[in-house]
Amino acid sequence: MDIFSGILFGFQTILEPSNLFYCFVGVFIGTLIGVLPGIGPIGAMSILLPMSFGIPTVSSIIMLAGIYYGAQYGGSTTSILVNIPGEASSIVTCLDGYQMARKGRAGPALGIAAFGSLIGGTFSVIALMFSVIPLAEAALKFGPPEYFSLICLSLLICIYLARGSFVKALIMILVGLILGCVGIDSVSAFPRFAFGCPSLYDGMGLGQVAMGLFGISEALLNLEKSLDRTIFQTRVKNLLPNIQDWKKSMGPIMRGCLLGFLLGILPGGGAVIASFLSYTVEKKISKEPHRFGQGAIEGVAGPETANNAGSGGGFIPLFALGIPANAVLALLLGALIIHGVAPGPTFISQHPKIFWGVIASMYLGNFMLVLLNLPLIGLWVKLLKVPYRILMPLILLFCLIGAYSINNNIADMIVMIIFGMVGYILKKLSYEPAPLVLAFILGPMSETAFRQSLILSDGRFSIFVNRPISAVALLIACLLLVSTGFSFYRKTKAEVIVE
Amino acid sequence: MKNHYHQLIPPLFWIGLSLFVMVLSYRMGLGGFHAPGPGMMPFLIGVVLFLTSSYLLGKSLSKKAGREEILCEEKGETNYGKIGLVLGSLFLFAFLLETLGYVVVTSLFFVLLFRSVGNRWRTVLLASALAVFVTYFGFTLLGVKFPSGILKF
Repeated sequence: MDIFSGILFGFQTILEPSNLFYCFVGVFIGTLIGVLPGIGPIGAMSILLPMSFGIPTVSSIIMLAGIYYGAQYGGSTTSILVNIPGEASSIVTCLDGYQMARKGRAGPALGIAAFGSLIGGTFSVIALMFSVIPLAEAALKFGPPEYFSLICLSLLICIYLARGSFVKALIMILVGLILGCVGIDSVSAFPRFAFGCPSLYDGMGLGQVAMGLFGISEALLNLEKSLDRTIFQTRVKNLLPNIQDWKKSMGPIMRGCLLGFLLGILPGGGAVIASFLSYTVEKKISKEPHRFGQGAIEGVAGPETANNAGSGGGFIPLFALGIPANAVLALLLGALIIHGVAPGPTFISQHPKIFWGVIASMYLGNFMLVLLNLPLIGLWVKLLKVPYRILMPLILLFCLIGAYSINNNIADMIVMIIFGMVGYILKKLSYEPAPLVLAFILGPMSETAFRQSLILSDGRFSIFVNRPISAVALLIACLLLVSTGFSFYRKTKAEVIVE
Repeated sequence: MKNHYHQLIPPLFWIGLSLFVMVLSYRMGLGGFHAPGPGMMPFLIGVVLFLTSSYLLGKSLSKKAGREEILCEEKGETNYGKIGLVLGSLFLFAFLLETLGYVVVTSLFFVLLFRSVGNRWRTVLLASALAVFVTYFGFTLLGVKFPSGILKF
């Protein structure tokens, strides 16, 4: 199927009333969780994951994808109006967005954030559409060694780009890999780490692990913070930016598109890094850098475009190779696997309805988001006034029922609560659970690829360096390790000198 | 300087976990490189985890790491009572759901949590009733089947 017929087929799919409905539900929930601090897209997706089992695969993936890119839109609203980022990728929007609101320009700030997001989101979908097919065709030549090396590289980049300590991120990856080993071994059918418990033979449930680590633990952590927020008292008017605003914003928007898309492909939270880098670039090339932090519209336009372009870029490795770029997309991969769909090089040819349906839903979803975020801004502002002490019990109930609905089993709820406690302790000790979830999902894939490679080569590890793609991936992974080690050595040396 | 032994707990825990994983994996059978057994991959992961956590332990034992930890601790206060109450409510919900049924157990859950975070009784009762009503119909529409419990619905 060529791109033109593919996209027509996609629109035919998305225009089915049920898919249109789930697309709207996805972007609505995405905006909602973006606006409400205390629950992110990972938490929301993990809560909705079990509930999506009962709906058709294409509809559930359209809905879950909508939550992912919708959250990037909603996050800017709180950054601009409350100075609290709804999402990590909107942190940088606070710097100038809130200052614009303080100066009575909340409307243009929200407007440029929404239009920048629309342009960034649409650009990334177009780029995704054109780049994923050639990559998937190339990936058809990949064997187990290539897959193993690419997964290793993904996990290493994830560690490299993780916030906080490199060692702690590495430990999280390793723990995720161990959790991924639980269950019956796919080659020998030997039960591993199941301790005679039949419910562990199928492995740890993704829904329970993710909901615990992200939903429950986040609610527990928020109990320690102030439960009340003060909303900046301003009338939101003139949402459409003026010509002067557009002139200043066009450059940052264009650069944000490119930066966001390219960084989004990289594993490890592309949208977050893209927004920070976009802000840095804009400030650096600006003729008036002193305006940044004082309410410069470029400081809103660039990062908001970049984080949306980044969210689209992340779909490329997922759809072409079956390797997710971050924890949210890892959940999407988990959802596909649960629905019996294996993403990878043959995904587009075997499941054109899902692929093209999701692509078309992203076009439509981006427009829905602008409509949701601009004319309905008053609704979101009102929602911001809902205190967290009302939201928290509801979030917890959604997690509990989400876990229960997987198998109508109390044990799933208990497992989820235990993972909630684990997630809370990990976060208190500055361990990020996102790499754990990524490794948990990629672990079984990497193990299968590793064992198949060794069987193919009769036990020779040279198979990983004899094949060019695998060798290049491992070389980049080694360079990353060396670079991290070198910067760590320099940091330690500097600390010793200071002491 | 006061000793902060609790800093050693996480790396020691990881070391313990890695040893546990290595022993269990070894028992599963490592196989050979030409035909890796079920224990090969977890064993290798266990080895890397052991090395990494040993390094973290060494770092935690150093003076500098101790100072960083103290600074982190001073930043926030943990209300363990509230955390305990929420966790207790979650476990109670899980254990009582099948016996008492969704409506009763969720009402109790909401009353407990809404009250624990400082809402007034009027708000607690109103919000709980509304939340139980909306979530019951919402989840039922999504196809979730709840145990009927003592109220038989």
